[in-house]
Amino acid sequence: MPPISGLYRDLAGLLDRRRVLTGREDLLAYANDATPARVLPAAVVVPVDGAEIAAVLRYADRRCIPVVPRGAGTSLSGGATPLPGSIVLDLKRLDRIVEIDKANLMAVVECGVVTQRFQAAVEDVGLFYPPDPQSLSVCTMGGNVATRAGGPRGVKYGTTKDYVLGLEAVLPDGSLTGYGGKSVKMSSGYDLARLLTGSEGTLAVITRIMARLLPLPPARQTMLAIFPELDPAAQCVADLMAEGAGPCALELLDRVLVNCIEDFLHMGLPREVEALLLIEVDGYPAQVERDSRLIEDLCRRYGSREVTVAADAKEAESLWRARRALLPAVSLRAPTVLTEDATVPRSRVPEMVRAIRRIARANQVEVGVCGHAGDGNLHPAILADRRDPELMGRVARTVAEIGREALKLGGTLSGEHGIGTHKAAYLEWEFGPPGVELMRRIKKAFDPNGIMNPGKIFTDG
Amino acid sequence: MPDLKDLAAEIDRCSQCNFCLAACPVYREDRLESSGARGRINLVKAALLDQTLPVSGRVRELIDRCLLCTNCVQTCPASIRVDDIVAAARANLPNRNPAERMLLRRLLDRRAVSGVVGSLLKGLNLFNLPSLANPPLQQRLPAAVRPDGPVSARVAYFVGCGVNYLYPDTGEALVKVFSANGVEVVIPAGQQCCGLPALARGDKEMAREAVRANAALFAPLDVDAVVTDCTSCGYMLKVQVTALLPPDDPALPAAQAVAGRIVEATEFLAALGLQRQPRTQAVTVTYHVPCHRHWSAALADAPPKIAALVPGARFVPLREPRRCCGAGGAFFLSHRELSASIRGPKIEDIVATGAQVVLTQCPACRYFLQEGLGTESGVRVMHPLAFLAGGC
Repeated sequence: MPPISGLYRDLAGLLDRRRVLTGREDLLAYANDATPARVLPAAVVVPVDGAEIAAVLRYADRRCIPVVPRGAGTSLSGGATPLPGSIVLDLKRLDRIVEIDKANLMAVVECGVVTQRFQAAVEDVGLFYPPDPQSLSVCTMGGNVATRAGGPRGVKYGTTKDYVLGLEAVLPDGSLTGYGGKSVKMSSGYDLARLLTGSEGTLAVITRIMARLLPLPPARQTMLAIFPELDPAAQCVADLMAEGAGPCALELLDRVLVNCIEDFLHMGLPREVEALLLIEVDGYPAQVERDSRLIEDLCRRYGSREVTVAADAKEAESLWRARRALLPAVSLRAPTVLTEDATVPRSRVPEMVRAIRRIARANQVEVGVCGHAGDGNLHPAILADRRDPELMGRVARTVAEIGREALKLGGTLSGEHGIGTHKAAYLEWEFGPPGVELMRRIKKAFDPNGIMNPGKIFTDG
Repeated sequence: MPDLKDLAAEIDRCSQCNFCLAACPVYREDRLESSGARGRINLVKAALLDQTLPVSGRVRELIDRCLLCTNCVQTCPASIRVDDIVAAARANLPNRNPAERMLLRRLLDRRAVSGVVGSLLKGLNLFNLPSLANPPLQQRLPAAVRPDGPVSARVAYFVGCGVNYLYPDTGEALVKVFSANGVEVVIPAGQQCCGLPALARGDKEMAREAVRANAALFAPLDVDAVVTDCTSCGYMLKVQVTALLPPDDPALPAAQAVAGRIVEATEFLAALGLQRQPRTQAVTVTYHVPCHRHWSAALADAPPKIAALVPGARFVPLREPRRCCGAGGAFFLSHRELSASIRGPKIEDIVATGAQVVLTQCPACRYFLQEGLGTESGVRVMHPLAFLAGGC
C-alpha cells in the first residue's frame, strides 16, 4: 500500500496534530486487536468530539479512504484490525458520562467510556448496568454496542443490545444521526438504534449511547457444582432455568479447562470431572435464598458430587477465581489462543460440546470448552500458534466447522464477539445469499463509498 | 541481543488482550496506545528482536517513557514481565549516557559515594532534592540494636539507598520502633544498593554485582527475617534477584536464601503486633500504596493497621490508594512534565482527605509527593514506621 500523499498534512488540518499519528512506531500499537492479524494503518487519529469525527469521515469519504473505528482494541473477531491504507479512529477520548438519569432509569454516555467505569458510576447511585464482557476493565461502551457484547450475566439480563435505548452516530458523509432517547417505548420509524447496534463499525461511527439501567439487586449468592458427567449437568441447567431459578451467571468449564486451571492455580479442583458449573443468583435476599436452595437441590438430584455455596463475598470471589484464571491458565498452554463464541439453544449444549470435541479430534487441535451454559453461548478455547501456518490452517478449519455445527443445531455463528474478519466467510451459511444481499444493501444505503470498516462482517467490504 | 533474546518467549506469551491499557499511568496521560504496555512490548519486538522497524528517536522515546511501575504486570492475566522486557530493551539501546552510568556505579558501591557523587546529586538540587545525609545512615547505625527487655525476634535490616542518603529518619525510626517492641535489629556493614536502579537503566551486570555482594553479606546471618523499609528494594531482593543471576552463578543459592527471608518492615511489625501502646497523635492520616507492592500480599494492608494502633489518629483512605504518583524511582528526573501530570490527581486525592500525614513505604514516592504537596501545605509525607516512632 503506497503512502497516501498529503495524508498527515490533511488530517493535521482537521484536528490537533498531536492527535494525528503516521509514524510506524505509533501505528504499530494500533496494528492489531486481540486476534493474531497485524496490519499497519496509514494513520491513526484521536478525535475528542463528534465534530472532529465528522470532519475526518467527510475527508475520508471524499477520498475513499477506509476508516476503522476503534475502542480499546480488544476484539476477539478481528473487527478492530486495521486495513492497509486505512485511517484508524481511536475513540477512547470521547469519554464523558454525560448524564445518569435516575428517574428514567437511564444514562447518556459517550462512546469511549470504559464499561467498568460506567458500571461503578451507576452503582454509586444504586443503579445497575448488567452487560459484563470479560474485558470490561478496559473495553468501551461504543465497542460493546458495536459488537452487542455480552458476558456471564447474559443468561439473566441479556447482552448490550438489550440496554440500548437510543444512539447518536456520525454517518460517512459527516452528518449526525440519532434515534431514540429517554422513552422506554418507541414505535416510531425503523429502529436505527437497533440496526447500528452490532454493526461493527460498518455503517457509521457511534458517538453517544442512551443506555437503559436497572435498580441494583441488593443481594447475590455464588455456588460451584461439580458433575462427573456432562449430560446430567446440562439437564440440570435446563431444569433450573425452566423452574425459574433465574441465575445471573451459569458458567460451564469442561475437563480440559478444569485441568488447565488446576495446573495454574492449584486450588484443589477435581481433575476427573466432565463439568464444573459456576452459578450465581441475585435479587432480593429472600428470592436469592430460595433460588440458591432450589439450585443446590437440583444439582444434587442430577448427580453433582459436590456443591459449594459461598458463605460470603470473599468466598464468592474465590469461587470466581477459577473462571477468571481461565485466560491466563490457557495462555500458558499455547502462544496463541482463539476464543470462539458459537452459540446454540440452551437445550443443545451437550450435543454442541460433544461436536466440538469431535471436530477438535478430527483436526488434531486441542480445544477446551467453557462458556455461558445458561444461554448456550459457548467459548471453545482453541490452542494455536500464529507462527505455525500449518497449524493455523487446521485452526481455521476448526473455527469453520464449529460454526457450521452451531447453525445445524439451530444456533448462531456469534453470540457476543461479532463476525469481524474471522467469520465473514461463513455469513451466508447463517443468512443465505438473499439475507446477506439484503444486509449489503443496507450497508450501501449508509455507506455508499464503502469506507466504513470494509472487510468486516462481509469478506469483500 | 543479550537478555532480550531470553525474553522473546515472554513477549510471545502475550495474548494481546490489552487489559494492561487500563492500568498504565503513562497511557492515562498520553492517551495513545503506543504508550501502553501492549504497544510497548510489540514495539520492542519489532524494533529490537525482529528488526522490522529502525531504532528511531521515537522508538527510544517510547521505550524510555515507562515508569517500570509494574501496574501492567499486576493487571496482566498472564503476568507478563513487561518491566523486565522494557529494562532489557533499554540495555540494548546503544549510547547510554556515560555520566548517568558513572553515577549509578558510584551509588552502587557505597564506599565510593563521596565528593563527586555528592556534587552530582547537589546539581540535581534544581529539583529540590533534600540535602544528602551526612554521614549516610548506614555509617551512623551501630552493628546491632538490642531491645531493653526480652527479645521476641531478630531481624537484619537492609538499608536502601533512598533511606541511606535522603531519608535517614526512616531507618532511625525502624530501629527505634523495632527495639521498643522487642525486636533485635542487626545492621551488617558494607551493604550495597539493591541493584534495581541499575537494572531499570538496563545495566544487568552492574545489578548482578550488587546482588552478589548483598547475598554474601546477608545469607550467613542468623536472623528470623531480613527487613526492608523500601518497597522497591523489596521487589528487587525478593523477586528480581533470583531471575537476575544465571542458573550456574555461585551466588545464586545465597541470593535465594536471602530472598526467602525478605519481609517489608511495616508488614513485619503489623504481623508481630505492638508490645507498647504508642502515644496519642491527634492527626488525620492517609496512605499511598507504592506501585512495587505485588511481591507481598500483606504489604498494602499493614500501614492502615499500624495507623489504627496510634490513639487519636484518624485514618481516611484515598479514593484511589493504588494510583501511581508518577515518581517511578528516578523516572521523574528525566520526565518532569509527564511525572508531574501523573501526580496531579494523586495530590488532589490526598488534599480531599484532609490528611496532615501521608504514609508511604517508598522513598521516591515520598520525595515526589512531598514536592507536589509543597511545604506550606503543612501535609507531611513519611514512612509508616516514622509515624509510629513519633508516637513511641
